[in-house]
Amino acid sequence: MKIDLLQGTLDVLILKALSWGPLHGYAVVRWIERTTEDVLRIEEGALYPALHRMERRGWIEAEWGMSEKNRKAKFYRLTDEGRRALNAESDTWQRYALAVGKVLHAAQGA
Amino acid sequence: MRRAGPRRLFRFPLRGQVEQDVDAELRFHLEMRAEDLIDEGMTPAAAREEALRRFGDFGKITESCREIDRRKEKEMWWIERWTELRQDLVYAFRQMAKAPVFTLIAVLTLALGIGATTAIFSVLDAVVLRPLPYPEPDRLMRIWESNPQTDQFSVSDPNYLDWRATNRSFQDMAAIRFTTPSLTGDGEPVRLTAAAVTASLFPVLGAKPALGRTFLPEEDRPGGATQVAVLSHPLWQSRFGADPGIVGRTLRLEGQSTTVIGVMPAGFAFPDWAELWIPLAPNAAADRTDKWLDVIGRLKPGVTVEQASADLDAVARRLAERYPDANRDWGAHIVPFPESIVGPQVTQTVLVLFSAVGLLLLMACVNVSNLLLARATVRGREMGLRSALGAGRARLIRQLLTESVLLAGCGAVAGLGVAHAAVRLLRAFGPDDVPRLDEVSLDGRVLAFTLLTALVTGLLFGLAPALQASRTDLYALLQQGGRAAMAAGRRLRDALVVGELAMAMMLLIGAGLMIGSFLRLQQADTGFDMDGVLTVQLELPEEEYPSERRHLFFSEVQERIAGLPGVRAAGATNTALFGSFHPTINFSVEGRESQGQEDFLAADWRSVTPGFFQALGIPLRRGRLLTEADRKGTPDVVVITQTMADRLWPGEDPIGRRIHFGGGQDGDNALTIVGVVGDVRDLDIAEEARNVLFLPYQQVPWPQMTLLIKTTGPQAGLAAAIRREIRAVDGDLPIPEVQPLRQSLSNAVAAPRFRMFLFGIFAAVALVLATIGVYGVMMFAVAQRTREIGVRLALGARPWGVVRLVLRRGLFLTLLGIALGWTGAFALTRFLASLLYGTAPTDAATFAAVALLLAGVATVAGYLPARRAAAIDPRLAFSAE
Repeated sequence: MKIDLLQGTLDVLILKALSWGPLHGYAVVRWIERTTEDVLRIEEGALYPALHRMERRGWIEAEWGMSEKNRKAKFYRLTDEGRRALNAESDTWQRYALAVGKVLHAAQGA
Repeated sequence: MRRAGPRRLFRFPLRGQVEQDVDAELRFHLEMRAEDLIDEGMTPAAAREEALRRFGDFGKITESCREIDRRKEKEMWWIERWTELRQDLVYAFRQMAKAPVFTLIAVLTLALGIGATTAIFSVLDAVVLRPLPYPEPDRLMRIWESNPQTDQFSVSDPNYLDWRATNRSFQDMAAIRFTTPSLTGDGEPVRLTAAAVTASLFPVLGAKPALGRTFLPEEDRPGGATQVAVLSHPLWQSRFGADPGIVGRTLRLEGQSTTVIGVMPAGFAFPDWAELWIPLAPNAAADRTDKWLDVIGRLKPGVTVEQASADLDAVARRLAERYPDANRDWGAHIVPFPESIVGPQVTQTVLVLFSAVGLLLLMACVNVSNLLLARATVRGREMGLRSALGAGRARLIRQLLTESVLLAGCGAVAGLGVAHAAVRLLRAFGPDDVPRLDEVSLDGRVLAFTLLTALVTGLLFGLAPALQASRTDLYALLQQGGRAAMAAGRRLRDALVVGELAMAMMLLIGAGLMIGSFLRLQQADTGFDMDGVLTVQLELPEEEYPSERRHLFFSEVQERIAGLPGVRAAGATNTALFGSFHPTINFSVEGRESQGQEDFLAADWRSVTPGFFQALGIPLRRGRLLTEADRKGTPDVVVITQTMADRLWPGEDPIGRRIHFGGGQDGDNALTIVGVVGDVRDLDIAEEARNVLFLPYQQVPWPQMTLLIKTTGPQAGLAAAIRREIRAVDGDLPIPEVQPLRQSLSNAVAAPRFRMFLFGIFAAVALVLATIGVYGVMMFAVAQRTREIGVRLALGARPWGVVRLVLRRGLFLTLLGIALGWTGAFALTRFLASLLYGTAPTDAATFAAVALLLAGVATVAGYLPARRAAAIDPRLAFSAE
């Protein structure tokens, strides 16, 4: 079963993907696919507006380079600001997931 | 989309950088995905389809990426500009601080130019440009009666009522009559300046009262409940302490108890002199030739002035057919509101002043430009260095323009101070008859104008120096110290100074013409002797003084005053001398058939007491003057002016001839001419002599009269004595100040005097600026030629020869400037024609005198640098540089 991505989740996934080093868009998609073992369903195109938005916001920087197959590709790199954003976002996420988990596991009437 | 093999699966048309980048990025993604799918065993076609499917809405995603990138690009662009601007500003400030004297002179010059321009613009804006404070002012019209002699004549009650009832173009019309009721009861009795208006006035203007209500139609009818009044805001505040319960209170107006029904809001002033409004109650049964109303109207939506004119023409034609005696030769004339409120002369004056001050600002720009050019040569090395360090020419120009705009900005800030002071002076000393002058202020619109002026000024005076200074040829700079560039700079500076002299020339000629015109105006022949004449205006309340009692009052007052020591004669006339009341009547000559419109005759008329002619020393040319024997019951007589006699009876004796006033010759409207007196200009001294009829006061008793008292010797104490005598006859009459007649004349020429004054100031500043300009350029030329002059001196040239050499150059520039200025003035001064009295716009004496003045001043300005040149130590020639 595949799960649709929750609103606002994509950004944090992209930031996380880029935290390992510069990647082009397709590589980000592949990374997410691999890491989530194809559980999360991303509409691949939606990645790009998110990348461009974060670039404008200064979280990531773009540079044209050569792909592994020796083709021109646009690589994104996390900026310091982006790294801070990632930390903040993943904190939020973990607390969110924890809270939701607590609610779902709570014994009735406790 | 074109398909061409697996490696070109996705292809898009080329466009801008942003578009290309987004396309390339997304194409890369699709190609990678498709290739992976092919590797997994799909056919290329199926792989392409699957890649697109997984991608989602391709068009939408492309567009949103592009949109984000475009916005980012724009932000980056602004950030870059802003960073550069900040650098430039910091640098510019440092440059200004490095040369404080230069900065001070430049800023002061600009402050003067921008300040003066701002001040005059604020007047232009308030008086001419800003729309009137009424809703849809474009639809408001002033409507006059017209005859073959003038198209702006007051309107009679019946004609107004017929116009209003039968026209099809106006939503409504309203009529206004000037009146001066006395206000008695609480405190000192005063005469108010009031407007008797129809109930339709306020709706036509779209004005609502602040308190209470305005007039009802039934309060605006003869015999109606007309004892009501609406107060103006200033009167309500000053006389009634802004009493919020004023509505419903009764006042004694002209001895009658009158109920206050409303107060108009602050800022509502129509007509602008009105302190109070009372109902007019126009009378359909009044004499149709008795024209004393001012009429305004609001056009129906969508009706043009032309359509309304045609409509009213038809209305007037029908009235002329129905009432031929009264209305033959009379039409109707429409003038849009702004023009009717701000007359063409005021508009002309303000525009001329604005142009003049614009020239002044240009001159200030030239001077600063010259200063900058001089500095450019000094800064040549700095520019060379910056360019060597990689600054492009465009970047250098932008840097230099930033400096000049900053300079202009500082000038504008200081200029606002100048403008603030100037506006206060303008409001305090401006002539009273300039409408809305009291509304002049430095508001947002004016500030915006100043800002724009500063920007344009900065670019204007900065551009030439920036282009000059940025033309850095590094090689030339190192080789010869940039002498070639210096020569080009000198030519530019020379051209600027010539232009500046030309502008100064034009302003000086303008001022010269105004001054000449004003002096002539002051000495204009009024036809009477003003020396020692005192005036006081009296108005008899109509209820206490029915017409048969009025002459008794004035006879007694005159007799008492004439008996005072130091008084030679006393008389009275029904107009305020040099005032705005301008009674006119049309007439026909007995026995002469009117041939058509060109035979239409009109004359000013005055109701005068016999003493009038003695008091003013008006000479009798033929026949006799008016006497106390000309009264009710004796034949109606008239004394006419020489001009009228010459026009109507050339070469004949007019004594004994009869004229008929109004229309027709059948009734009791005949006047017999008994005398001819010298021409009199007692209203507008700038006009040609007019036809004037002097009617005996006893036959035409008028409630408002101006007493004229001819005195001999010292006038101290006389004013008080005169007031005492008047009070002895009627203690309840409000008596305004006793004034010398010269004072009235002085008020009458306030506008031309003010024009002359302003133009004079502009011209004086222009002269100073031109002098500084010439001095600066000559000084710089001498500094640059130090070596050459030194060589000449070393080779035995006489110092006087050097002085002449330098002076000749200055004189050449000056003459060029004067010639150019002459040409300009010749072309432009005709716009002054309507503002000049007895002075041709190309008055040769003025042109010549101004040329001499400018040449003289420029020579002096050039002489100092020449002296300095002659004093150069020849040894310097070899050590310089």
